[in-house]
Amino acid sequence: MKSKKKSIKIALTVFILLIGLASNFPFLFMISSSFKVSGEVMKFPWHLIPDNPTIMNFKALFTNGIYNFQKWYFNTVVMTALTIAIKIFFVSFTAYGFARIKFRGKDAIFLVLLSAMMIPSDIMIIPRYMIFKNLHILDSMWALILPSCVDVYFVFLLRQSFISIPDSISEAAKIDGCSHLKIYWKIIFPLAKPAIATMALFSFTWSWNDYMGPYLYISTMDKQMLSVGVKLFSSGLIQDYGAQMAAATVVLLPILVAFLFCQKFFIEGVASSGVKG
Amino acid sequence: MNKEKKPISKTKEKTSIAQKKEDRYGWLFISPYLIFFTVFTGIPFVIAIVMSFLNVKYITRLDNLKFVGLQNFIKIFTNKEILNSLLRTFQYSLVYVPVIMILGFVLAFMLNNGIYMKKAMRSLVFMPYVSNMVAVAVIFKVLLGNNSPMIIALRNMGFNPPLLLQSLKLALPTVAMISVWKSVGLNMVVYLGALQEVPSELLEAAQIDGATKWQRIRNIIIPMISPTTFFLLISSIIGSFQNFTCIQALTEGGPGQATTVMAVNIVRTAFTKYETSLASAMAFVMFVIVMIVTLIQWRGQKKWVNY
Repeated sequence: MKSKKKSIKIALTVFILLIGLASNFPFLFMISSSFKVSGEVMKFPWHLIPDNPTIMNFKALFTNGIYNFQKWYFNTVVMTALTIAIKIFFVSFTAYGFARIKFRGKDAIFLVLLSAMMIPSDIMIIPRYMIFKNLHILDSMWALILPSCVDVYFVFLLRQSFISIPDSISEAAKIDGCSHLKIYWKIIFPLAKPAIATMALFSFTWSWNDYMGPYLYISTMDKQMLSVGVKLFSSGLIQDYGAQMAAATVVLLPILVAFLFCQKFFIEGVASSGVKG
Repeated sequence: MNKEKKPISKTKEKTSIAQKKEDRYGWLFISPYLIFFTVFTGIPFVIAIVMSFLNVKYITRLDNLKFVGLQNFIKIFTNKEILNSLLRTFQYSLVYVPVIMILGFVLAFMLNNGIYMKKAMRSLVFMPYVSNMVAVAVIFKVLLGNNSPMIIALRNMGFNPPLLLQSLKLALPTVAMISVWKSVGLNMVVYLGALQEVPSELLEAAQIDGATKWQRIRNIIIPMISPTTFFLLISSIIGSFQNFTCIQALTEGGPGQATTVMAVNIVRTAFTKYETSLASAMAFVMFVIVMIVTLIQWRGQKKWVNY
């Protein structure tokens, strides 16, 4: 009985491992191909390890005369960093208000915010264009940063996590004469760091990967972001597979590495955020 | 200051002053967010609805505005091209939603059933979720394209594999499946969280009573995790309607019109054809459909969701 159970467990593990490897094969293919000369990418039989590894593709990416890849990279790094930095404070500050202050009208407003989560973003794209234009942030990275700070989803999640911090902790501070601002900054914010880290990481992936925003709202080439850049690049060099793979690699690598090092926050953040209906 | 003037009992007054202070702080904390929310979500939502009933052409030119009633909506439901793109959105959802729901559950179930290196496996399946769709599309276009080593290998074995992304019939389901590949990790992780909360005593008791494995899944596990299923179902349906990035990156709506779903069509109508009001009306129709689907689910949940 016990050995049968063990063999089932091994079989299941192998099975899942195969699924996992298969679903990561595109990434392996990409990294391997980015070190190959273009002719070798499509060579059959296919080798994981390149015959003559070369970094030519990466060099070409950042030194070609047509596409300003390093500028796009720089823009995306700045935009993502600003988004995360602003969001961490902005969203947690708001979540504190909803979680730990008992003011009148709170529940009604929170309900409005929650129901706004149901609005599909497609309906916003045209009016937002007009609003960005009137705020004079069209064709700048602020058109991507500011709207993403209004993230109801994370206000909701951080609120949950703030509520779960025992009241007794802030009560004591209150008796000692601490104001809400101080309680937020000195007590709640530090205690909720794991939840905030989860938010920061998800914001990182969403901003870094955003395609629709820059595609619609940014028109100047030099202000463009990586997602749009890679698309331009790959349709411009349609036959140069090595270069395309190098471009995909430099876009994907930061995010995959961030994931590998912070899986805990990504996955447990989702699992524990308590999606319980 | 008011303390002396108002003839109310002292304790009541105290709470009301404290409450006023709380109110002030509460609004201090949420008003920056509310301003942003109003500017970037509230006002756009209202504009979108108003615009559906006007005749705006060219997104930035607002002269010559006229109220045209339901004209934009009549156009949507009489225009074959738009109706076809709506139909494709449904076809896409019909592939995406069932596959991602079932696959997500099966993967979570297998992971939860005790395997080695559970966390590593979980990460492996979750990985595509964080990836950049455009970069991923570059890879898939090469992998599924004409000269790909995989295609050549299959050809050498005597098969004649179709070029999935260039086939009129298969492009849409292929795009949906790539989308499932990318997002299934999230469903799996959420399901895994729910499965871990199913009390093991319950399963053991059922086992002692002679319930088969299948009976335990059907009669205990599936009802126990039904709130999660409900949540995932709604968010997967909404997610399946918002497929612009995935389709634009992989096929740009082609070949022909084969993958031109509503989301792609809305952007095209607004930013290439400059029919701003018509595009708004199309987006509004999508919004209403999402609402209806959600409401139906909400009413139907009483029958199968156990809290």
